[in-house]
Amino acid sequence: MSMQSAAEAKGFSLGSLIRRPETGSFLGFVVVYTFFAILGGAVFMGAPGWSSWLNIAAEVGIIALPVGLLMISGEFDMSVGAVVPAASVTAALLSGHFELPALIGICGGLAVGLLVGFVNGLLVTRSAIPSLIVTIGVMFAVMGLTLGFAVLIKGSTSLSYVPDPLTKSLLGTFVGGMFNVSIFWWLGFVVAFVFFLHFSPIGNWVFAMGGDAESARNAGVPTAKLKIALFMASGFCAAFVGVAQLMTYQSAQVAGGQSFIFNSIMCVVIGGVLLTGGAGSIFGIVLGTMTFAVVNQGIFFAALDPNIGSIIIGALLLIAVLSNDSFRTLAMTLSSKKK
Amino acid sequence: MDVISGLFRRPAAASILSLLGVLSFYVVIGGVDLGKLMGAASWVNYAARIGVVALFVGLLMISGEIDISIGAMIPAGAMTTAILSGYYELPMIVGILGALAMGVIVGLFNGLLVTRTTVPSLIVTLGTLVAMQGIVLAGSKLLTGAASVPLSAPGWAKTVFGDLMFGGNHQVVIVWWIALAVVVWFVMHQTKYGNWIFAIGGDKVSARNAGIPVDWIKIGLFVGTATSAAFVGMCHAILFNSAQVSGGMNDIFNIIVSVVVGGVLLTGGFGSIPGVVIGTVTFAIVTKGIDFTSIDRNWSNLIIGIMLLAAVGMNETFRAKAMSAVRKKKG
Amino acid sequence: MNKVNRFAAAAASAVVLACTAGAVMAADIYVIGGKPDDPFWSRVKKGAEDAGIVAAAQGGSVTWLGPQNYDNLGPDAAELIRQAIDQGADAIVGPDWVPEAMDPAFQAVTEAGIPLVIYNAGGLEAADRLGAMNYVGAVDYKSGYAGGAYLAKAGHMNGACVNTLPGAANIEAFCAGFNAGLTENGGTGSVLQLPATAFGDATAVAQAVRAHLLQNPDIDAMFAIGDGDTNATVSGIQQAGKAGQVHVCGMNFNDSILANIQAGTQDFAIDQQGYQQGFFAVSILNNFVNYGVTIPTREILTGPGVIDAANVEQVMAGVKAGAR
Repeated sequence: MSMQSAAEAKGFSLGSLIRRPETGSFLGFVVVYTFFAILGGAVFMGAPGWSSWLNIAAEVGIIALPVGLLMISGEFDMSVGAVVPAASVTAALLSGHFELPALIGICGGLAVGLLVGFVNGLLVTRSAIPSLIVTIGVMFAVMGLTLGFAVLIKGSTSLSYVPDPLTKSLLGTFVGGMFNVSIFWWLGFVVAFVFFLHFSPIGNWVFAMGGDAESARNAGVPTAKLKIALFMASGFCAAFVGVAQLMTYQSAQVAGGQSFIFNSIMCVVIGGVLLTGGAGSIFGIVLGTMTFAVVNQGIFFAALDPNIGSIIIGALLLIAVLSNDSFRTLAMTLSSKKK
Repeated sequence: MDVISGLFRRPAAASILSLLGVLSFYVVIGGVDLGKLMGAASWVNYAARIGVVALFVGLLMISGEIDISIGAMIPAGAMTTAILSGYYELPMIVGILGALAMGVIVGLFNGLLVTRTTVPSLIVTLGTLVAMQGIVLAGSKLLTGAASVPLSAPGWAKTVFGDLMFGGNHQVVIVWWIALAVVVWFVMHQTKYGNWIFAIGGDKVSARNAGIPVDWIKIGLFVGTATSAAFVGMCHAILFNSAQVSGGMNDIFNIIVSVVVGGVLLTGGFGSIPGVVIGTVTFAIVTKGIDFTSIDRNWSNLIIGIMLLAAVGMNETFRAKAMSAVRKKKG
Repeated sequence: MNKVNRFAAAAASAVVLACTAGAVMAADIYVIGGKPDDPFWSRVKKGAEDAGIVAAAQGGSVTWLGPQNYDNLGPDAAELIRQAIDQGADAIVGPDWVPEAMDPAFQAVTEAGIPLVIYNAGGLEAADRLGAMNYVGAVDYKSGYAGGAYLAKAGHMNGACVNTLPGAANIEAFCAGFNAGLTENGGTGSVLQLPATAFGDATAVAQAVRAHLLQNPDIDAMFAIGDGDTNATVSGIQQAGKAGQVHVCGMNFNDSILANIQAGTQDFAIDQQGYQQGFFAVSILNNFVNYGVTIPTREILTGPGVIDAANVEQVMAGVKAGAR
């Protein structure tokens, strides 16, 4: 009953609309956008404004997608904060320092993400340790390895790499001088994840796993393999963002990336994913990411003190969560009334 | 034999082994002079700083909840003290009480939201974390025009909260940490309240059915974490004559790692105060002790990560053993 | 406890001295600095360690003590100074970032009779106040000032300083200096503060810069601290369609910054020569402990130097060697 299957979502009555997890996040987005549109004026509503917050949304959004899926299945991934710099440093070392072709650097960076994800998944599925703790441990370890090897090999903690025009245009250019190409990658990832979660049998497995892992396993869902795959997806996506940042800014830093940990979780939660797993949708996550990005950028257009931005984001998070909470209660009472 | 296996079943067992493991690693690989390390103040001071908060986070985690807003509460406590007593030159006691009141308010807010809604505490406190970061920074800029504020505390406040003891380098916070550890240990392991907290973490519904005031206890525990964080910030402002705004993201992870290495189960219902104390000491020795070794500081995060994973791995194994032993006895 | 330890340490060193009779005294030098993954401080560390090769050849050592992060800069650094005393340092090098928090610890160093050199922050004034032998380095405030003055003299009067770590004492000093440099040369300065959720995320910095420029079209000069923020600022300016109109000064550099200067997307960088700071501070103390020799020149300034299109080629050679 709490499972949101694609078939159920196709109904169009008012009740099912309210019950949809992304209704609350959509309302949140509209309110926040209107607020900043009034304060930010024409510049914010025009192309410069849109590209400005979409650029932010794209990078957090790419990571928020798998993080959201993990949360739906009842797990966390804190290590994304360490994978972003690890991947960009790896790519910069391979292609910049050792002057290997760009493709090898990109693959190397992405491989780091997949490997970290695999280790996370293996540790989580083979032990009874909560994923929050496992991924905090892995996060520290990856941060240490990145710093240690960067200093050992390059002797510096900031590396640079100037990509060739083709790589730059694919991963680090600005379309029309303002829209980061990562926005289109984000769209691609969204399509892939929508298919994965809502139109393939695997999606139902993910929901089932978050709802009740034990019975999911009894029903024949390969929970361990699926979880490892999800952790590898989040490692991959974080690594992708790291590589794209290297290509965009031509510079890789050992420090940094930590902001992605909580930012991605905030996007997912604002998007209506239940933290304890079992409910949520890709559209909700996308909406949550957009809301988060609008607040983040809107404060600069609204000429508010940027410090107020943190207060708004914090308040918004709580409001989003509370309204989702009351929506969910409402949905529960509605559906139980029907029965 | 029975004594040894009984020892391993204690929640603190894995943390003791982690501590021994870290020490022997540093001695064998890093060439640490143990006498020098034990005499040094740096890691004890650090342990006390995170240890005061870790005690209360440990309690909260045993009850099945988590509080990450502590990261923002440490600088919030420091800034409140410095702004009230430093910038506005109000009496010292106002600054001290102001910082503690700030902790109580945020704790109440967290506790009420967690108990009144179905929202998980991680998300509620993530919201207060971000909001408090903004409030502290914006408030400081608005009131004082700067992000760091000097403070000169009178002698009595220095003696009580922020002094170095015995002419050496050990801070007075260490005494507070030990005293609080004893108090919390007594409440947790010798009174009915401790049993209540374990019961809440084990099974909330049956705890409530058994007549335990679950919500009040939880709200109290949230007040404990936020206030202890503000307390630590206040002590630091007095000791170091200044306070600065910061995100405090790192303290969150450091404190959670200390508690978990100390054998507390993240999902609640299992843990001990001696374990938390030893976990804190272990974490402090890893981060501060590396300077006493010949190992390059660059690798310290790697060691923290591996130690955390090894410690929780051991915790799991021991707990499984303990459970099977209990089951055997019953059978 | 402490006294016993010190006695033991003294006894031990006496034994060592006796064993190596005839050889010079070995200097164990402790250097307090920034966190190890900070690009600027990794160069200071390299300088200190290179000078440490000489110390090591004479039986001494150089140990780097840095905080895990900048959340609690003053207290953490004060702790590290006291830790160096506890570890039995023969000489100590440290920056005076937050005088209120750190001065008592530095005073404990001089009271214990340990030779001290202040470097990187504080200036000669701090060295004199604390009884230190010398001061080596640039001053954050002065470095920011040099950036502001350079831009204002070039006719770029309306500047903004990008601050991604509001509250960190060193970053605040850069921005205050930059704004002073502008205003004292006829311009105006402001600070663009980013929320804590943006730290370490180049895209967030770039987009904030861009939004700020779109809302404040008068700004024609920007100052950013560190390689990552500077690269992000340059990108933000390009995305705002203001390349060539808004002039950028960055604090310190790596090879991508030098490429920016060559390409003209960044006007210049302020160079504090971190390598020199670490190298000279350690060398001064090592020679003093071993041979009792001193350098009468006080306040050894390593910066702020300016790297612009005129001297960028020469600097690149030093970067290749990992020293700049």
